[in-house]
Amino acid sequence: MSVAHSGSADARRSGQFVGVIFVFIVLLVIAAVIGHLTLPGLAPVWHFLGAHPILNALVKAVVYVSFIALLVLFLIWWERKFAGWLQARLGPKHVGPQGMLQTLADALKLITKEDITPAVADRPLFYLAPFVVFVPTVLTFMVLPLGPHWIAQDLNVALLYVIAISSMTATGIMAAGWGSNNKYSLLGGVRAVAQLLSYEVPMVMAVLSVVTFVGGLSMRHIIDYQAQNGWLILKWPLIPAFLIFLIAALAELNRTPFDLPEAESELVSGFHTEYSGMRFAFFFLAEFANNFFSAGFAVALFFGGYLGPILPGIVWFILKTFVLITLMMWIRWTVPRLRIDQMMGLCWKLLVPLSLVVFILAAAWASR
Amino acid sequence: MDSLNGHKKEGYLSDFVNGFLSIFKGMGVTFVNLVVRPKITVLYPYQRLNVAPRYRGLFWLKWNEEKQRLNCVGCTLCAQACPTNVISMNKLGKGNHAGVDEFDMDLGRCMFCNLCIEACPFDAIYMGPTYELASYERNSSVFHIQVLAQGGAEAVRINNETIKAALAAEAEKKPAAAVHTAKEG
Amino acid sequence: MITDTTSRNTMTVNFGPQHPSTHGVLRLIVDIDGEIVRSCRPEIGYLHRGLEKMFESRSYRHNIPFTDRLDYLCSLANNLAICQAIERVGNVEVPERAKYLRVLMVELNRIASHLVFLGTFATDLGATTVFLYAFRERELLLDLLEAMTGARLTYNWIRVGGMPADIPEGYGERVIAFLNQMRPRLDENDRLLTHNRIFRARCEGIGVLKREDAIAWGATGPVARGSGVNLDIRKAAPYEIYDRLDFEVPVFDEGDVMARYKVRIEEMRQSARIVEQVLKTMPEGDIQTKLPKIFKPPAGEAYSRIESPRGELSFYLISDGTPNPVRIHIRAPSFIHLSLLQFMAKDIKVADMIAVAGSLDPVMGEVDR
Repeated sequence: MSVAHSGSADARRSGQFVGVIFVFIVLLVIAAVIGHLTLPGLAPVWHFLGAHPILNALVKAVVYVSFIALLVLFLIWWERKFAGWLQARLGPKHVGPQGMLQTLADALKLITKEDITPAVADRPLFYLAPFVVFVPTVLTFMVLPLGPHWIAQDLNVALLYVIAISSMTATGIMAAGWGSNNKYSLLGGVRAVAQLLSYEVPMVMAVLSVVTFVGGLSMRHIIDYQAQNGWLILKWPLIPAFLIFLIAALAELNRTPFDLPEAESELVSGFHTEYSGMRFAFFFLAEFANNFFSAGFAVALFFGGYLGPILPGIVWFILKTFVLITLMMWIRWTVPRLRIDQMMGLCWKLLVPLSLVVFILAAAWASR
Repeated sequence: MDSLNGHKKEGYLSDFVNGFLSIFKGMGVTFVNLVVRPKITVLYPYQRLNVAPRYRGLFWLKWNEEKQRLNCVGCTLCAQACPTNVISMNKLGKGNHAGVDEFDMDLGRCMFCNLCIEACPFDAIYMGPTYELASYERNSSVFHIQVLAQGGAEAVRINNETIKAALAAEAEKKPAAAVHTAKEG
Repeated sequence: MITDTTSRNTMTVNFGPQHPSTHGVLRLIVDIDGEIVRSCRPEIGYLHRGLEKMFESRSYRHNIPFTDRLDYLCSLANNLAICQAIERVGNVEVPERAKYLRVLMVELNRIASHLVFLGTFATDLGATTVFLYAFRERELLLDLLEAMTGARLTYNWIRVGGMPADIPEGYGERVIAFLNQMRPRLDENDRLLTHNRIFRARCEGIGVLKREDAIAWGATGPVARGSGVNLDIRKAAPYEIYDRLDFEVPVFDEGDVMARYKVRIEEMRQSARIVEQVLKTMPEGDIQTKLPKIFKPPAGEAYSRIESPRGELSFYLISDGTPNPVRIHIRAPSFIHLSLLQFMAKDIKVADMIAVAGSLDPVMGEVDR
C-alpha cells in the first residue's frame, strides 16, 4: 500500500498527538480560569446569588448542565479519537481541527432529526425514559468536588446520596426497554436492570471500605482526610477496593466487557434501538456524563480528588479523571463481551465475596 | 500449533489471576498499536491510493498514433466474450479499413471480469485505473465512445475521418475491380 | 410467519436479515425463553439469484465470472472448482506453472477469507478492535491479489486450461514480505484474543458438534476438523499440486466454537507455508493451454471437489456436447453447515447462538446461489 505522501506519515502522527495535548491544555486553562472566578472581586456577585436560594439553585443548575454538555462533547470526541488510534485509524478528522467539532455536528444532526415514536410504543414511558436516565446523572454531579470551591451541595450524606440517585438510572433504562415495545429493547432493558442492580452491591461495599477509613459520608470530609493522610489508594486494603470499584463502574456504565444491555451483535443496540433524534442524544449524553462522574467519583474517593501541587484544584481533578476515563476506554476497546450468566457469576461469585473480605480488612485496618 | 494449545484446566484462584493477566497482555497489544504502529487510514477524497498496474477499472479504447485511428476494427469479439452483453458497437467501413464510430458499454451490467480484454486480438480495448464510476442516474452508467476512446471526442472525430478517407481512397483506386467482380458474378 | 405457539413462555425474535451480527442476509428465527434459545431456524433465500439456472444459458467461459458471486470472500476457490469441472469433462490439460499459480492464488485468498472470519467473529463477541486489525492485514493481502488479478474482491482469474496472466515482476518478494509481517501479527492476535480469558469463556465448550454428528450432517472443512474429523480434500483427494506440498491439517477434537476458531487460525499459518513452498518450487513454462474459440466439451459429466476456506466445495457438471452446460450443481459448504444450527443453537444463551453462527462462517452468496 502506497499512500500518496507516505513519507510524512510519521510527522503527521506526532502532529496529531501534539494537537490533542494542545487542545487538552487549552481546556485545562479555561477550567482554571473558571475555577478562579471565586476571586475576591467577584465575591459580591456570589454573595448576592448565594443569598437567594432559588436564584442560587438556578445558576448552579445552568452552570452544571452546560458544564456537563461541554464535557460530554469533549469526552465523546476523545473516545472516538482514542478508539481510532487504538484501532490503527485516525478517528474524526474533517469537522474542525482534528475533528474537534465532529461531536457538535453530530449533536446538531440529532437535534434536527425527526423524532420517531413507534406506533405501538407505550408513549408516556417512551417519552420520559431518556430524561429519567439523564436527570439522576446531572443530580449526582451536585456532590462531586470539582475543586476546593467547586462543590454545588456539600451534603453530609453525599456517598449515600450518590448511591441512591445513581441507581435510579435503572428505572429509566427499564422504561426505555419496555416503552419501545421492541423485543431487542426489552431484552436490553431487562439485562440492564439485572446488571445495574447486581453490580451496585460490590460497588457499595467498595465505597463503604473507604468510609470505614474516613469515618464520614461527606465528600469534603473524604478529601480533607486525604489531604492529611495521603491518597486513600495508598492504603493497601483499598487497592482491591479500587479494583472492585473500577470493575463495578465499568458494569454500571454498560461498557465492554459489560456492554450487554446494548450488545450490538446480539440486540442491535439494546434499550435505545427505537430512539432517534434528541431522545437518543439524551441517552448518549447521560452515558458519557455518567462515565465522567464514575471516574470523578473514583478520583475523589481514591486519588485525592482535587488535591495536587501548583496547579489549581479543578485542573488536577479533571486531569486525574481523564486518566481514569482513558483507562476505561482502553479496557473497553481491548476485550470481548461477557455472556449474561458469566457477568452475573463474576458479580455474585467473585466480586461480592471479595468486596466483603476487603470491607472487613479495611474496617480492621482502620480501627487499629 | 503449539501456540494455540496453551489452555488447560486451572484452579479457581490461578484461573482468576491468569484471566486478569491475559487481559493485561491484550491491553499491551492494543497499546503497541496505539503508540507504535502507523495509522493506516487514507483520507479518501483528499488522499488516494495508487491502484495496481493491472487494475480493472474503466475501459479505454487504444489510440493508434501512427495510423491516426483507434485500434478497434469492430469485430465484436469482445461483445461475444461478454457474459452480460455490456458492449454494443457500430461498425464503420469494412475489410482492411474497418473501424467503429459508436462503441457503447453499459457498465451498470458490467462485472469487470476481464473477458473482453482477453478476447480482443487487436490490442484495442483495455481496462484503466479509473474507479469512481457511480452515478445518480441509470443512463449515466452507459459510457459512449467519446469517453472510452483514448484522446476523447477529438480522437473519435479523427478516427472517423481517417477511416472514411481510407475507404474513399480505396473506392477510387479500384472501381474497375469492383465492376469486374460484379460482371463475373 | 412461523411462530411457535405451543409454549407461552417463548418469544419469537428475528435475527436478520438486517441485523448487525448476521453474516450477509441470513435470517435466524429464534424462539427465546428469557435469555435461552429454545429453537433456532435459519431462513435462507434472501440472496437467491438463480445462478445454477443462469449457468445453463451461458457458455462455459461465460459462467466463470458468475462463480465469483458464490463465496465472495474466496472467489478464486470457486473459479478453481468450476474450471476443474470443465477441464475434467473436456479433458483439458493444465500446464504445470498454471497449477502452481492457481494454488498460490487460492491459498492467498484462503488467508484473506479467514482474516474476514477472524474479524467478524471477534466483532460478534464484542471485540471490535480485532476486526480492524484483521482487516488491516487483509488490506495488504488484497493489494497483493490486486497486483496479480486487477480486482480486489471478485477476481475471476482462473480460466479453463490455465491462468490468464503470469505473476507480475517482484511478486514473490512482495508475498514473502507480507507473510513475514503476517506471522507475528497472528501471534499478536493470539495474545490479544485467543488467550483472552473472556474470549475463552465465551468460546470453550459452546456449541459442541460431536464427531458422529459432523459426519452424519455432512460437515466439512474447518467445522468438521474442529470436531475431530481429519478431512481435508487437499490431502484426501489431492488436486492441482497439493500432493507435492508439505503442510499439516490442523484437527481439534473438542468440537466447540473455540476448536473451529483455532482450526482457521492455524490454517492461515499452514497456507502461509504452502505459499512459500509454491513460490520456491514454481517451474517456468506455459500458463495456458490453447483451446478453440468456442469451447465444446464432449458429452459427459464431471465432478470436481476442492477445499475452499469454508469446506468442501464441489461442482457437478453435465455436458451434452453443446457450448452451454446442461446442468451445473454446486455443493456449497455454507449451506450444509447452516443446517447444523438448528440443533447446535438449542438450549443455549442468545449470545452463544451468535457465537455458534459466527463460528460456522457462512457466506450467504454461497448458501442462496
